[in-house]
Amino acid sequence: MELLERQETWSITYNHALGETASWFYAKIRDEGAIYGKRCAKSGRVLVPPRSFSDETLQPTTDWVKVGPGGRIEAFTIVYEKFNNLPDPPYAFGYVLLDGADTALGGYFKGVDLADPAAAAARLKVGTRVVATFAPQRKGEMLDFWYELA
Amino acid sequence: MSGNRVGIIGIGQSEFRSRRDDASYPDLVREGVIRAMEDAKLDFDAIQAVVYSLSPDAMVGIGNAERLGVDAVGGRNKPFLRINNGGATGISSAVAAYYHVASGMFDVVLTAGADKIGECGDSQTVLNKIWDPSYERPLPLGTINMLAMSAVRYMDRYGMTEEDMARVTVKNRHHASLNPKAHLRKPVTIEDVMASRLISWPIKLLDCCPQSSGGAALVLASERFIKDNHLDAVWITGVGHSAETYWMGDRMGNNPTAEHADAYALGRSFEKSYRMAGITDPMRQVQVAELYAPFSNTEYHSIDAARLSPKPVETIQRMRDGEYQIGGRIPINPSGGTLCTNAIAVTAMARVAEVALQVWGRAGDHQVKGARLGVASGNGGDHQIFGTMVIEA
Amino acid sequence: MGLRNQPGIIGCSIRPVITSRDRSLEEVIYDTGQLALKDAGLGIEDIDGIVVAANDQFDGRSISVMMASGPTGGVDRDIMSTPSASEHAFILGALRVATGQFRTQLVVSWSPTEVSSMAEAQRLGADPYFHRALPLDELSAHALQASAIEQALPDARVAAENVTKKNRDQGRLAWPDAPARPAAGPMRWPVTPAMTSAPVMGAVAMVLAAPDFIAERGLRDVAWIDGMGWATEPSFLGDRDLATAPALAAAAGQAYAAAGITDPVTAFDLAEITDATPYAELLAYEALSLCPRDQWAARSADGSFARGGKLPVNLSGGVLTWNPVFCTGMIRIAEVANQIRGRAGRHQVPNARRGLAQAGSGFAMQYQSAIVLSKAARTKGAQVEGAQVEGTRP
Repeated sequence: MELLERQETWSITYNHALGETASWFYAKIRDEGAIYGKRCAKSGRVLVPPRSFSDETLQPTTDWVKVGPGGRIEAFTIVYEKFNNLPDPPYAFGYVLLDGADTALGGYFKGVDLADPAAAAARLKVGTRVVATFAPQRKGEMLDFWYELA
Repeated sequence: MSGNRVGIIGIGQSEFRSRRDDASYPDLVREGVIRAMEDAKLDFDAIQAVVYSLSPDAMVGIGNAERLGVDAVGGRNKPFLRINNGGATGISSAVAAYYHVASGMFDVVLTAGADKIGECGDSQTVLNKIWDPSYERPLPLGTINMLAMSAVRYMDRYGMTEEDMARVTVKNRHHASLNPKAHLRKPVTIEDVMASRLISWPIKLLDCCPQSSGGAALVLASERFIKDNHLDAVWITGVGHSAETYWMGDRMGNNPTAEHADAYALGRSFEKSYRMAGITDPMRQVQVAELYAPFSNTEYHSIDAARLSPKPVETIQRMRDGEYQIGGRIPINPSGGTLCTNAIAVTAMARVAEVALQVWGRAGDHQVKGARLGVASGNGGDHQIFGTMVIEA
Repeated sequence: MGLRNQPGIIGCSIRPVITSRDRSLEEVIYDTGQLALKDAGLGIEDIDGIVVAANDQFDGRSISVMMASGPTGGVDRDIMSTPSASEHAFILGALRVATGQFRTQLVVSWSPTEVSSMAEAQRLGADPYFHRALPLDELSAHALQASAIEQALPDARVAAENVTKKNRDQGRLAWPDAPARPAAGPMRWPVTPAMTSAPVMGAVAMVLAAPDFIAERGLRDVAWIDGMGWATEPSFLGDRDLATAPALAAAAGQAYAAAGITDPVTAFDLAEITDATPYAELLAYEALSLCPRDQWAARSADGSFARGGKLPVNLSGGVLTWNPVFCTGMIRIAEVANQIRGRAGRHQVPNARRGLAQAGSGFAMQYQSAIVLSKAARTKGAQVEGAQVEGTRP
């Protein structure tokens, strides 16, 4: 028999409150080109990106700590497949432990030739030193900075 | 807990496929339910409560799609609620149904669900929105990219190679070829996997699960009901859940509690289930396992977390030696597993269903001979929330 | 059958309206959970498990439990979520305590207003096969139900107006500083704007505990769960008689049987009912066997269900006062718990010994729950045997 289809699209807009902690973090990125974490007094760990409380101790975090811009690659992947609503491949991104931080911060890796996957993966291997690089024009968001090999 | 045990008395699963254009979403739910009810040889009147299994609404494209499934599960005017623990939902629903019976309030409880991932044109877009809008969502994260990074760390720490990943696919595709309900049933070679197109380094197409459509259901009952009615059953002797941090970057860096290479909270959940079931030496006591692993690399850390290997480097070696295939020492994913069939809302329920069939001795061509005790697991969120179960004959 | 162990509510945090934008949703959930723990006098280390409930389409997250796990203490703990309804998180938490496998549970629900159109988010809940093309949001579904009720009972409108006035008056006593609530939207006949309340952001959390834990810690101010019932209407509105609430009648039957209640009219010192519209409250009176429909007009006029009446309903002001849409059901339960615990604040009823909470949600209240809470714990013998759940036995 004839089987019919109906195409439906979900399109809803949200305005998420970032709260004081994330707002302060993004304002510093926008205005100073600097990345800050927040320390959990109970564990002593510097959480980057900053959280207002630690999900391990459930205690509020206390003081701000400037971290980076240098750091080491903790994880990466190189994407060769096109996904809807994501950038055109190839691109590399992952997580970096910035100097002075205890947790890793995500971002794109730029300036690495991705044409040969194995060679690119070798250049981005875990432990590689990188530096956070800031866009000259910044909006106060995660994509205002990326990582380049040090 | 003698006398207060909870048993599985009915199991239903679809033959999972890419598309099911002949069936609406509730039709697919009904398919699993009817099969489970026939298996349990009960009328719908016997069902006292329903636990509905459904992960992201957006995957089926219907908000609170469980409301649409009420009739399919015979839920009208009965206690009914839905569980969503992401990819763990199917096992979490089975565990929630277990709690319904173990509370003493109900004798017979149905849990059921279905998914039609094949109808969602943007599954990785939906899955990007599992991350928080403030920090991690702006990154091109999806479940594939997330677990590619786990593979990178597992390689770095324990020496897993791309061929080791491929070996898991080869094993599970062989298993799936024996299971008529599995979605991807064509056997492949290591060379096939290595030559398949790169998705997110080091994950290639054949390291990935498919997007499947189908339904599944289980009927659980109290020991009293099972004995009074002279029913056949297998027994749920251990259950557990545990979660780890939502933040990907917190699973790396300086001495993370939950290392992203591993599956820390899955291990914690298994600890709970094993303690409850009185299992002290899983490598000797567990005879079959269905471990939720949607990408080849994640089967390794799942085996580690289930303590079915002494340590990660050994896991890699034992996989090379064929110890985890049917006929080996502890067959893992004899159904073909999540790698060959993934209808997210019921994937982890299929893990429970398959272990139940194995210890019941009803698994057909993929039966693990003599299996009397098995374990199942489910992973949800950004590899964050885990559920586990021990099932015994 | 009864619950193996009788759970008690030992801590509540009710935040029916949150206006500040200085906290993210995740932080609001953290604050709410911490307040409930503080109210219980416990720390997170005392919590064995967590159940949360939220609506992904309201939250703008694909799997809301993920974001909520950290702030509720889910790291290294047993956490589950019931996105069908806020009250379902409470029910699952109670079942988990009843198994004897958990000493405590933290249950949390929330409802933000960060979506540009809540009606649009709700419309996604209409199936794409037959109903998505219709303008079907929750308010429209409530209006269809109200219209069916008016068709069956012409003087229901007078009763609905009385209920509206009662709840708004009680809301002003409970929340003297709150501004008058704007309506949820334009008229959807026969539901007038005055009979609705605009959505606000809110959150609620409760701590549940097992009898041995409560005894061991010497906790007082406990609201014991005497009976629970929950049930569901069919999927399509067209398959229902919208002028009736059979699922709620079934849920009430389960709860009353478990609690041993034979005469609901005299059994309770107070009740909280999900008055998304006053028609929903009226229909609940009937399904909960509190007042047959032919007496709605008279009893709503004579103050029977008002403060000082025989059975005060919605002393908190109900949903007509604050409408954090998704978590209004769990708030009803928490309000009754706080009354039993003597911690309801301005709207405390003196000497509340037993109360009834009704939670309804979904299109025209598809999900229905009834919870009976008591100041007195069941005796040991009753706890083992329990009452039979009528109508659900095989």
